[in-house]
Amino acid sequence: MAPTLQHTVSPFLEPGPRTKPNSLAVLQLSRDNFVPVYLQEASGEHDGYVEGAVINTRYGSFPHSTLLNVPWGSQVRASKVDTGSRGRKRKRQLDEEAGCETSEPIEDENEKGNSNGADKEHGDGDEAKQLVTDASGFIHVLPPTPEIWTTSLPHRTQVVYTPDASYILHRIRARPGSTLIEAGAGSGSFTHASARAVYNGSPVEGKRQGRVFSFEFHEERYHKMKKELSDHGLDGVVTLTHRDVYAGGFLVGGKSPEADAVFLDLPAPWEALPLLSRQRPQLKEGEVGEAGAKPWVSPLHPKKSVLLCTFSPCIEQVTRTVSALRHLGWVDIEMVEIANRKLHTARDRVGLYLPVDRGVNNSAKDVEEAITKLTEIEERFRENARPKQSADGTEPAKQESKAATNGKTPMNGAALKYPWLDGRLVTRGEPEIKTHTSYLVFAVLPMVWTEEDEAVAMAKYPLGRERFVVSVMGKASMKEERREAMQQKQGNRKSRRKDRDEKLAEVEG
Amino acid sequence: MYSIIRPNTWVAIRLPSGVTRNILVTPNATISLGKYGSFPANFIIERPYHITFEIEDQRPDEKFSRIRIVPASELYAEIFADEESPDCSAPTADAAKSVISAEGGAEFTLVDAESGKLVTRSNGEVIDENARQTLTQDEIEELKREGNNAGKDVIAKLMLSHTALDQKTSFSLAKYKLLKTKKYIRRFQILPVDVPNLAHWQLEERDASKILDLRAEMIALVGSWGNVHYGGDSVYLEDPQATCEQGEEALAPLREDLLKGRWLVVDDTGGLLVAAVAERMGVLFPELDEDKSNLDEQTKRQRQEAEAEAEENQDGDVVMADVQDSAEKPNDGAKPKKPRSSDFEIPFSQTNTITVVHSASQPSLAFLGYWNFDAVAPSHVEHPLCRHLMCLTWLQLLKPELDTAYSTPPLTASTELLASWKPSRRGNFHRKRRRFARTKHIVEATRAGGFSGLVCASTMDPISILKHTLPLLAGGAPVSMYSPTLEPLAALADSFSVSRRTAWTSGTVPEVVVKTVEELERWEGNEQFPLNPTLLLGTSIQTSRARRWQVLPGRTHPLMTERGGTDGYVFTAWRAKPAEGKVAAKGKFKRRKLETGSAAESEAAETPIA
Repeated sequence: MAPTLQHTVSPFLEPGPRTKPNSLAVLQLSRDNFVPVYLQEASGEHDGYVEGAVINTRYGSFPHSTLLNVPWGSQVRASKVDTGSRGRKRKRQLDEEAGCETSEPIEDENEKGNSNGADKEHGDGDEAKQLVTDASGFIHVLPPTPEIWTTSLPHRTQVVYTPDASYILHRIRARPGSTLIEAGAGSGSFTHASARAVYNGSPVEGKRQGRVFSFEFHEERYHKMKKELSDHGLDGVVTLTHRDVYAGGFLVGGKSPEADAVFLDLPAPWEALPLLSRQRPQLKEGEVGEAGAKPWVSPLHPKKSVLLCTFSPCIEQVTRTVSALRHLGWVDIEMVEIANRKLHTARDRVGLYLPVDRGVNNSAKDVEEAITKLTEIEERFRENARPKQSADGTEPAKQESKAATNGKTPMNGAALKYPWLDGRLVTRGEPEIKTHTSYLVFAVLPMVWTEEDEAVAMAKYPLGRERFVVSVMGKASMKEERREAMQQKQGNRKSRRKDRDEKLAEVEG
Repeated sequence: MYSIIRPNTWVAIRLPSGVTRNILVTPNATISLGKYGSFPANFIIERPYHITFEIEDQRPDEKFSRIRIVPASELYAEIFADEESPDCSAPTADAAKSVISAEGGAEFTLVDAESGKLVTRSNGEVIDENARQTLTQDEIEELKREGNNAGKDVIAKLMLSHTALDQKTSFSLAKYKLLKTKKYIRRFQILPVDVPNLAHWQLEERDASKILDLRAEMIALVGSWGNVHYGGDSVYLEDPQATCEQGEEALAPLREDLLKGRWLVVDDTGGLLVAAVAERMGVLFPELDEDKSNLDEQTKRQRQEAEAEAEENQDGDVVMADVQDSAEKPNDGAKPKKPRSSDFEIPFSQTNTITVVHSASQPSLAFLGYWNFDAVAPSHVEHPLCRHLMCLTWLQLLKPELDTAYSTPPLTASTELLASWKPSRRGNFHRKRRRFARTKHIVEATRAGGFSGLVCASTMDPISILKHTLPLLAGGAPVSMYSPTLEPLAALADSFSVSRRTAWTSGTVPEVVVKTVEELERWEGNEQFPLNPTLLLGTSIQTSRARRWQVLPGRTHPLMTERGGTDGYVFTAWRAKPAEGKVAAKGKFKRRKLETGSAAESEAAETPIA
């Protein structure tokens, strides 16, 4: 999209207080209409615009210079930009190129266009300062976040949306300092969310850097994604590799990423799972054991439990994945489906006497209103049915009743004055909902615990010094337990008393 | 965090019945799991999380039960057996004998049309389970008392002595076995106490209303839309080196340029939301050795020795009222001694911080105790939250001059006078001065605004919260508010409705026209406009719900029951910086109109909110 961009820190992670040149910003045109833009400083004419780079929207034209170095969230008015002559100019340029003419006439035309333009302020040197606002509209400039990016990114594949992504990252405990493997980078929606989750600042000696190791099989997607990541300044956090993970595995540069969280968005996760093992995967039938020469390196963190999530749309994929997970020793396997709904609020305006308007339901708002209306109709009907006395008498009567209805309009003054306070506040779901995105399978792979580890731990925390009891049961249940144990040993109070009485009787006897 | 179970940390023990219990793992304790048995805590300290343990039968010469690790293959043995049987769903034991034919009239019988195989047997025949169980309760108790191979023998015997076992469908058989296993098997699993686990435990087993029914998917949404993440490397203000004679004037001035990556939190969930925010910012868990990449072996060993030493020395009095003392008492053998800092040193980082505004005089953050942090009296053990969590009351935020801690000038005393005092009085003197410096810093920094986001889960009216917090947010900062019920959020969203915004910007409201943008940012609110409707962008309400499934060979379906109650809702938006004066937006819709007239019309109506 943009030429070479330089960053210190990604605008996704530390946007700073204001918009910066050569950095990503998101323009909000309307409620759900976001346009990502790489802002550029004005340096002479750009693409035929004297103002430098310009964004044209249906709310008007916005030269980048008006969007630069403003606080994030700013509302920016459109500027008057000469878009018309640029088009003509281009056409002419093409014609001229075809006719092999000199470029001088074009410059002349340019100056002429400027002086004749609607706003005569457009000079040659300091255009940016003399821009004139246009009443065509405005936009807001927002800092990029994974949520906005997910709704505005160029779709290359099915996207993992925020409700799923946020839940997954929460469940696989991707937090600052985590190392995450993502297979199937796709459109990069999840990549951005996970980069934000694991990011833990600039590299410091002794601190484990949060990293995302992302893999993409499709070459074109890989290149696009690579460019995107570097444009977004996420190179330091995300390592993208072009690879078929079913065959190639998850090592990067022959080294283990030491991941403690895994997200698989693959058509066949069970093919990749054996490579995410702590031990060398068992060879499939017919495969030659040539790998025996090289020692097996696990891509997982050796000293941590690894949490995994797979993202599959079909139940058959889930069944196979879960079966593979069980055979590979993963525990706490759980399958979950997320249903997300957006809700819109509105003012429900119902009433017979409300002005006819968009979004107004002109029917009776309650029984009383209906009865009033019906009575009115009945009255009118009876009036009409009455034998006419004279033409003069009837006419004014009719008008009178009409006037009465208008006067009766049961509208309070406040509602008329403030239409936004009128009507009942209601919420309803959006017109179209996503009923199914994908099934999420979660699992945990505990670390390997060997006899030696056990011996070390045993030596450090020897037995035999137990002094007190910590119970998971409440105090009441513990008491109950003790009482039961006592009873079993000695019998209940009645039987004890009986025993004692018998003994006494014996002694006495 | 996830590697091994550290001594003196909270862990969650998951019992076979599916119940989890949180306990503090103390060395040299015996952990009792009630009817499932007990074992010495030293058996699980420094062992990995997530592993399934089984309590073995007590050996005749020992006074305690040993535990063993159950490999995954054993956990899944039954499922594997199911998978291997040719048709997963067909009954395994002599099915043919007791097949009820299809025309037998049992409407519950399902026969696969293609293979003619029976899929489900009628369950009309299966009668009350107890009637068929020949073992009496006493016999079962007897079995439990004698060595029984961790409960497996009991289950096997129960299954064997059930007379109607062959009449059960494969489904009810599996169910019966599961039921008995839950009751008698002596296995458990140890899970780390982190935000998802704690929230789940509080929601399912404790009092859900205490955390406002905040489910995992909602915690995730709130954090995500609040854009909560690591807010930059810690930066500290320089110690002003104030002497005891110096008062307020010696305080380190606030440096607004250093403030960065700060989130404002309003939490009525007892600290769960703060914990979730802290987890996302990387300040919830103390940094551990295994989180560090290149520590050489020697420092590691040194640390371990120091740790062991510290453990021996530590006898009970862990709680110390002040962070200050930690600087003098190095809890880490490898660290060099820091010079004594003055009373006015600000312990808080300027970046990556959480600011909690609370309505009571003390913040209610009890859940942070599960991560060994006490907000009221931070212990001397250096916890990242000590330097990244700041609490202030609404009074301190809005009317600081009425707050005693803020408005009382610090005590001063000459060195000689100080030396003549009793140690306890001297301690008090320093404590008060430190508290003053901290309160002053927190209040000033919060009132300076520029927050990176607002995250909220409160029982208070969201409109009143936003009225006072919106001016504190930086431009473009996200607002993410959770509410267990929809109505408060709907009222909030309505105060940013299109018609309100149109009226506000069109210049028809006389109160608004006379004010400048700065004044409007601190709009007090009136009946028609409780909030300035141009201060938020993209207001939206959403809800999420996770549906859990059972995945078993041939028996995959959503869970039959789940927790009901409220779903919970999140309101999200971004802070806008409105332009000065009247803003018009007519838009250009020529092309659209040609395509679809009605769509363009609706778009035009929406224009003003853009």
